[in-house]
Amino acid sequence: MLNGREASGKGAEFESDWKDCEREPIHRPGSIQPHGVLLTLEPSSGRILQASENLDQLGSISATAALGRPLSEVLAAEVAETLQAELAAKLPAEPTPSSAQAGPANANRGAANPQRRPVFLGTFTLPSAEAPAAGSYQAIAHRTAGAVVLEFESITGESSGRSAVDLQTLVDAFILEVEAVNTVDALSRVACDTIRRMTGFDRVLIYRFDEDGNGTVVGEAGSGRLPSYLDHRFPASDIPAQARELYRINPLRIIPDAQYRPVPVFPAENPATGKPLDMSFSTLRSVSPVHVEYMRNMETAASMSVSVLRGGELWGLISCHHQEPRTVPFPLRQACDLCARVFALRLSSLEHVDEYAHRIRVRSAFSRLLNEMTDRGDFAPALAANRRDLLALTGSQGAALLTAEGCYLVGETPAEDQVRELAQWLYTSVDEDLFVTDRLPSLFPPSDAYKDSACGVIAAAISKIHASYVLWFRPEVIRTIRWGGDPRKPHADAERAGESGESGESGESGDRRVPARLHPRRSFATWRETVRDRAPGWTASELEGAAELRNAIVGTVLRKAEELAALNAELLHSNKELEAFSYSVSHDLRAPLRHIVGYAEMLRDDSADVLSERGRRCLETIIESSQYAGRLVDKLLNYSRLGRSQLQCGEVDLNQLVAEVRQELMREAEGREIVWEVAELPRVSADLMLLRVAVQNLLSNAVKYTRERPLARIEVGYRECPSELEFWVKDNGVGFDMAYADKLFGVFQRLHRWEDYEGTGIGLANVRRVIERHGGRTWAEGQEEQGASFYFSLPKAAPTPAP
Amino acid sequence: MLKPILLVEDNPKDLELTLLALEKSNLANDVITVRDGAEALDYLFRRGNYRDRPDGNPAVVLLDLKLPKVDGIEVLEQLKADSRLRPVPVVMLTTSREEQDLVRSYALGVNAYVVKPVAFQEFIEAIQDLGIFWAVLNEPPPGSYKPERKR
Repeated sequence: MLNGREASGKGAEFESDWKDCEREPIHRPGSIQPHGVLLTLEPSSGRILQASENLDQLGSISATAALGRPLSEVLAAEVAETLQAELAAKLPAEPTPSSAQAGPANANRGAANPQRRPVFLGTFTLPSAEAPAAGSYQAIAHRTAGAVVLEFESITGESSGRSAVDLQTLVDAFILEVEAVNTVDALSRVACDTIRRMTGFDRVLIYRFDEDGNGTVVGEAGSGRLPSYLDHRFPASDIPAQARELYRINPLRIIPDAQYRPVPVFPAENPATGKPLDMSFSTLRSVSPVHVEYMRNMETAASMSVSVLRGGELWGLISCHHQEPRTVPFPLRQACDLCARVFALRLSSLEHVDEYAHRIRVRSAFSRLLNEMTDRGDFAPALAANRRDLLALTGSQGAALLTAEGCYLVGETPAEDQVRELAQWLYTSVDEDLFVTDRLPSLFPPSDAYKDSACGVIAAAISKIHASYVLWFRPEVIRTIRWGGDPRKPHADAERAGESGESGESGESGDRRVPARLHPRRSFATWRETVRDRAPGWTASELEGAAELRNAIVGTVLRKAEELAALNAELLHSNKELEAFSYSVSHDLRAPLRHIVGYAEMLRDDSADVLSERGRRCLETIIESSQYAGRLVDKLLNYSRLGRSQLQCGEVDLNQLVAEVRQELMREAEGREIVWEVAELPRVSADLMLLRVAVQNLLSNAVKYTRERPLARIEVGYRECPSELEFWVKDNGVGFDMAYADKLFGVFQRLHRWEDYEGTGIGLANVRRVIERHGGRTWAEGQEEQGASFYFSLPKAAPTPAP
Repeated sequence: MLKPILLVEDNPKDLELTLLALEKSNLANDVITVRDGAEALDYLFRRGNYRDRPDGNPAVVLLDLKLPKVDGIEVLEQLKADSRLRPVPVVMLTTSREEQDLVRSYALGVNAYVVKPVAFQEFIEAIQDLGIFWAVLNEPPPGSYKPERKR
């Protein structure tokens, strides 16, 4: 990226080289930029440990000669004295051993790490006010492991003269403006304008990192001398991880002249520690040669960047560029840092306000959904009915609710079979309770067909046992990303870059192992990339909403399961009671009926001759009625047994079953003329004993109610429906009035007079009970004297035993 | 001398009707009636009031399922657990159609199981079938007489 490129770019084919770049120890370059002089001092004695090789520009003493001497022997006496006093006054106390050994990864931004924060000691004219080649230097000091780093930074140029009062006015104005803005865009604009006014750079950018480290320019102010990069994106490899880390701990970095030749520090290792000098907080630190080349390729001569941190993390950079070399005095840099912090604070509050409003929206949608679920009990229809809130919860365009009972589609969604297919895939391939993607087609290729409704998906799994999901969908959004140069071409002509830029780096120390062929891209002209198969990403609060709803649903489903279990236990209990009841009915009711019949028959046999004709008729009626009552009891018990016995399902050949039952019936209907039209029937999965009861009842009814017809016609057929098989028995018998169609299947329901048609009226109740136990339905159509049609259905899937 | 039939029945009406049915079936056997399970066991094991009864097992036991004191299933259980009594055929005579009784009775080694039908004529036929069957099996001597009704 613009200001940050401290290692070379990444291309897929250069993965390993790029990894090398990530390892480049950019905080220990062993050299400095030439716009100043660096000394390290032994903390207690103040004697010089290391010096940059350009030390002689501050006086006559060379770097090698200075080693081991106190400052007073290297600089003018009064300068050395002032510096010593300032150091003693301003430099924070010696760090504790633990923090002294802490590397950059453990360090934090200056404020949180006061012992390492550079302090400004003052501006000096060196080597002396009288010397003809004297220059203005600002002295800056900070502590590092085992040494005090003292840097003299040369200041020249127009920006150097700004007074502290000017700066305060600018910062004050900035704070006022920042308080007035309401959007991140406006805030970025204000920040860029202010920093540009303060520093005079040609271009100031706000550069924001995404979670992968890619950067986007979200704000810009410029003189017009440099190209605009507003809304352009830069790949993460432009600022590799260790460079981002350095930005995080040290918020300021300046390169006044990209054409510089690095000046080595002598000796390379700090004699006190035996290690190369850690320059993480050094102002003059020399940057990676690749970065210098990057700047030259971008045609910027000077750059400065100030980090924007949020919650200790690097949010972005305020990145400044100039066409010509440019220095920025220390107080001005401090003012820029202050502005960056103000920017970060306001940013947090703006984003919090946004997030808060969003959370309130999500929260109220959530509680309405929860209410609905509690009211209705069943979550899927409850959520489907509350379309607006369901979609608002995750900011989706569509949603689907898939349970064992059914599939509800809400808003923009794929077709139901596609949703089911997707759920099946999720069920077999995904383990997480919450599956989230913004690029479904790349994970599940069949979804390419419906990416215009479901390219982004959140899938909340409700059950481990079957494919039950709440799904939210977002359509594909084709986006154009403007890159700052083609990020796929990070290594423009190695030869040319090599001859123009690398010469100054040839003498670097052994720690610098940048592969020779790696170079940043040469062109930063806008390169457009079209991103397809991608939906807008899901935010943390949207995912939170989905997760919470899932928890709530799982909670209600669990509660429902518990209620069902309780109900089941209750049913089992009442089933037991029913059994006990039928046992006692069978025993207690049948016995007296049997006695009535028995004694009446005994009376008839023993005393028929002494009874009158009427007495005998009474006796016959007593016997007949008691026998009928006994049969009713038997039928009732039989009916209850149909409901209670375990289903024992197997394959049943309906052709054979119908043929057998028909044969039995025809034995009893001897002499009648009946035309049977029986279709070729399928095999079904059913309990043969129970299904026989149903078929027997239906066919015997058909035979019975056609007996007044000279030519009875009975048809048995079926048809296949999507989820069930539908069977029918049609006859041309006496039929019935459709007004009673529903009553037909009731227990002891009769539609005919005793004299016309015998029977207890329990046959069709038995049929219904048997079919319902198989998970099917029963219904009838008919018309008086026009025949009747009785239908039943059996589900295609094996029946689940119902209580 | 034919072995007697042991009828275990608590309900006096059922008892009377059953005896009538047995009478109509022209069996030559004596019919011993007992009114509860405990008495039945006393008879079978020759204890209590039946300590002094002549030795020998009945030709068949007609055993009601629901009995006072000791129920029919338990009588059956004890009978079938005794090596001397085990060969005695047992017919469960009962009102109940409940399948678990059926299954339990067969598991305990019952020889036949008759649900007393409501229609008395059927009942008589069932008793007659049973009686004749077991009587034949026990090979009554020729010239046997029609038994008197006994209690």
